[in-house]
Amino acid sequence: MASPGAATAEESRLVPRPRPGVFNEALGPDGATRPHWRGFLDWLAALGTEGRAATARDLERSRAESGIAFSAREHADAAADPLPVILSAQDWAALEAGVIQRARLAEAVLADLYGPNRLLAEGVLPPGMVYGTDAFAAHCAGWQSPPQRYLYVYEADVARTAEGEWICLADRLDTPLGDGWLIANRIASSQCFAQPFLDLGIRRVASHYARFQELLDSLTGWEGRLGLLTRGEGDPRFFSHAYLARYLNAALVEPGDVTVREGAAFVKTLDGLKKIDVLLRGAPDRAVDALHRQAEALPGAPALSLAARSGALVIGNAIGVSVMAHRALAPYAHLLTERLLGEDLKMPDAPCLWMGEDAARETVLADRTPWSVEPLNRRAMVADRTHLADDAALAAALARRPERYVALRIPRLADTPVLRGRQLASAPWMMRVFACWIGDGWSVAPAGVAAEIAQDPDPAAGGGGRVPALGFGKDVWVIGDREDAPSGPSVSLLADRLATGHLRRTGRDLLSRVADEVFWLGRNAERAEATLRLLDVCLRRYLSGNRIDADPVLLVDLVSLRVADRADLSPAQRFRDAVSRLVNDEAEPFGLPAILAALSAGALRARLSISEEGWRYIDRLSSDRRWGEGLDLRRSADLMRLLEESIRNLAAFSGAAQDNLTRNFAWRFLEMGRRIERGKEIARLARRLAGEEYEDEESRLRAWLTLSDSTSAYRNRYMMVPRVAAVLDLLVLDETNPRALAYQLVQLEAVLADLPRDGPYRRAEHRLALSLVTELRMLDADAMAETTDTGTRARLVRLMRRCESDLAEIADRIARSYFAHAEVPVALAHAGRSAEPEDKADDPGA
Amino acid sequence: MLYEVRHRTTYRYAARAAFSQHLLRLTPRDTDCQRVLDSRIDITPRVEPMATQQDLFGNTEHVATMTRAHDELTITAVSRVERQDPSQFIFEAGAPWERVRDQVLGHGNMPPVPEAAPFVFPSAMTGGNGDILDYSVKSLRPGRPLLAAAAELCARIHRDFEYEPGSTGADTHPRDSFAARRGVCQDFAHVMLACLRSLRVPARYVSGYLRTVPPQGQERLQGADASHAWVSVWDPVFAWVDFDPTNDVVPGLDHITLAWGRDFRDVSPVSGLVVGSGSQALSVGVDVIPLSAIPA
Repeated sequence: MASPGAATAEESRLVPRPRPGVFNEALGPDGATRPHWRGFLDWLAALGTEGRAATARDLERSRAESGIAFSAREHADAAADPLPVILSAQDWAALEAGVIQRARLAEAVLADLYGPNRLLAEGVLPPGMVYGTDAFAAHCAGWQSPPQRYLYVYEADVARTAEGEWICLADRLDTPLGDGWLIANRIASSQCFAQPFLDLGIRRVASHYARFQELLDSLTGWEGRLGLLTRGEGDPRFFSHAYLARYLNAALVEPGDVTVREGAAFVKTLDGLKKIDVLLRGAPDRAVDALHRQAEALPGAPALSLAARSGALVIGNAIGVSVMAHRALAPYAHLLTERLLGEDLKMPDAPCLWMGEDAARETVLADRTPWSVEPLNRRAMVADRTHLADDAALAAALARRPERYVALRIPRLADTPVLRGRQLASAPWMMRVFACWIGDGWSVAPAGVAAEIAQDPDPAAGGGGRVPALGFGKDVWVIGDREDAPSGPSVSLLADRLATGHLRRTGRDLLSRVADEVFWLGRNAERAEATLRLLDVCLRRYLSGNRIDADPVLLVDLVSLRVADRADLSPAQRFRDAVSRLVNDEAEPFGLPAILAALSAGALRARLSISEEGWRYIDRLSSDRRWGEGLDLRRSADLMRLLEESIRNLAAFSGAAQDNLTRNFAWRFLEMGRRIERGKEIARLARRLAGEEYEDEESRLRAWLTLSDSTSAYRNRYMMVPRVAAVLDLLVLDETNPRALAYQLVQLEAVLADLPRDGPYRRAEHRLALSLVTELRMLDADAMAETTDTGTRARLVRLMRRCESDLAEIADRIARSYFAHAEVPVALAHAGRSAEPEDKADDPGA
Repeated sequence: MLYEVRHRTTYRYAARAAFSQHLLRLTPRDTDCQRVLDSRIDITPRVEPMATQQDLFGNTEHVATMTRAHDELTITAVSRVERQDPSQFIFEAGAPWERVRDQVLGHGNMPPVPEAAPFVFPSAMTGGNGDILDYSVKSLRPGRPLLAAAAELCARIHRDFEYEPGSTGADTHPRDSFAARRGVCQDFAHVMLACLRSLRVPARYVSGYLRTVPPQGQERLQGADASHAWVSVWDPVFAWVDFDPTNDVVPGLDHITLAWGRDFRDVSPVSGLVVGSGSQALSVGVDVIPLSAIPA
């Protein structure tokens, strides 16, 4: 590192002077660099403009590869600023104390509201704060034995004011679990800024999560199960849920995966129901109890509160915490802290007025400008603000449902350095911090994710701006306290747990739903390949101009293997129409739009069970923009190129699945799906291309060989033009050819033989597969190639039809045997009434 | 009066259901003028042992779980209840509605009323709108004693609304039934609650039964063939006072209280979830049989 004296000159050019009267994280009021920023700014200066740009690009790529960017793809508008925010040990100590106190406060308020209810009985809190919104979970109040705790995880949005004081912008209690972003973001930033990160002795987060893990272990016990409940890949937090689940070794479950009976919660696995002991809740509390809040429950949700009420399930955070989430603590935080904790509030809230109070409402209606009116305890990102858009609508909403709203004013905030193109600048910022209960107190991850906040630079505007819902990407670094004992060797939690062999092998614990998804992923990958190869073969022939191969009638015959033919057109038109539909028509069941959409959705849902690499091939294939460009025969060269690349990506996916997946249950279901689908396709091809003696038989057989990628295998073996018996031998009977029907059946039978069974006998689906394998083994190719008087190969056709229907039957039976649990409950009709469509959300602006 | 109440609910499924779970609020509760002598619930086919718990409002909930395949399920609740006439209220002697409102909202220096607090604010099924508010203030005029105003409101709803079974469903919002001016007991109760709560007056939804066969010479009350619903309004002097907007009466000897809550969703007598049932058919039968007149 450069010497301090030399650096100052560099820095002064690097970061512009602070705005007067505004606290700047990096610079003192005089413009001098604060000591804890010196090392980092020196390093940045030494990088030079090009180096800084390169580092920013590295970070962006690294974030993209980790998948953070993916989850934010649809939600965040811009790349996150690469520069970390650096906090000194003293800064952090003050913030940490404030955060811990707020977590304790929220816990104390919740324990009272759902327990003895003194705050209301003594008039400390007005009833409207609690009952005025629909956040209060009446079905979780007044339990004889209340949960041990309500909060296990706590997040807060905090900021530093222009004066340099920490304030709280929101308490995030309902579905926190954004830790996955924190960890992934930290990994990306610590890699790209490795040198300053190490040199400055930045505090790590691993030991914080190790302590949380210890608590979770003590709650689940040695044999118990830990789950993380998520709404699934449609939730913008899904990335974080998936990441955190992997980090904490928790099963990632969706509401439909859980069932509650006999007062306990169970997950539905291939091996039956397994008790789950601790559930980290990433789905909103209002949506997880299908008995008590049926109208709001997510599809498939169980009656989760029953398991919590009996004490058999720990839910973190408990159902009902949303009543104190978001801004609900703000208006009374001072009073509540004194009353419940006997302390002074350490970290106050940004100015916040509860609209349930007449005076507060009048203040806001008189001058709305500085205030942002928001729902009291709904997460900002889901809140629909349209009914607050104009003054009249706002006044109406506040007149009808004042209790539901607060007015918030974000004051002028402190600045931190940001990278603007090639220049450094300063901008107002805020951050999210993450805390966990660790058994004897709260631990705050010594880190955070930060975001810029757009504020009017004019001091007269007094701040303003809005907390972004997502797109937090600036890492927050906390300088280690050198006086403090070092927090042990810096180990990553994942590596540590792998080393001690603590990871449970998930084997039979595969969720029924996930098995189902992986099974269909295998089937859809195979379907995609069949359609892609068919298009590829047809296009090559079409372009070859060869009189026999490019005969429009034959081409139509070929392409109609995957798409319904339109007989009203001329053969040439029919072919063009069929190709265009296969490539562009979303309604074609075997067309690429439908298959690729299914493949992409399936890969996303099964992402945790397939390898990351495998997932990326599918993503690359299905999200290729060129599919949406309406390619057809007129741009055949572009289409050919895309087809080739896609087939390569699919092959790479298959390879990744073969190589990188342990042969666990997930692999088996992927394999079965693939073999069933490919087997059906071969049988169909055999029927359609060799089912009778065609005039252009040779051309058809060549097409089949190409479609099956077996042309060279045939040449190596027979060195001659295709003959029916020889082709049938290679593509139907040969158990060593991965493209032959027999190979599919043998593989399928082998996997089925390995699946768990209830009794000593083989399951029906296994018997079906065995019988098909045996049947093929009893045949020879010449017998299959025999024709009747009318020129049909009746025996072949019959057998192929049987294969197709038996394979479909096997797929059905697998679904019934293994995925039946995955079926989710639906609501029963109400007594005395016929079920009617859902009631619309109660919208005060309506 | 001594009654036996039989409430039978039968679900029939098109396909065999693999699993079902039911939340039952079928146990009548003791009140100042009602005593439950005994109450039991039978379910066929047999289910796992039921869990019993009290909700926040003091209602008894049973949770029944069926884990074996079944295509039909019948839930029968049988209770014997002794019912007395409520004391007489002098509605005009009650507190002005604004004072009640201010007290339950925690304004002024009046003692908080935790037991009324959950019933002050519009709930999911009792949200109002401008029309409902206008309708409400015609009875809740400035300075008017709350109970007198509520009695008038009850009478107006009875007069202005058509009782029409089948015109609404279990999830019909009072905004819709108000606009249509028709519905069944549940809608009448929800509309009256929406009116009261749009002014932040504490009132709760009461589910219960009516005697099926009227005493000789009297007309049969409406809503007697299924479970019934009405409204209870809180007054600082008289505490909870019942109003039945479907029949424009103050519930007395003919009404049996089952449970109360913020709206129908809190007290729905039978609800639940089912796995794999295909389409469902539901039938409900309620019998309220007077056993004898108990001398006062």
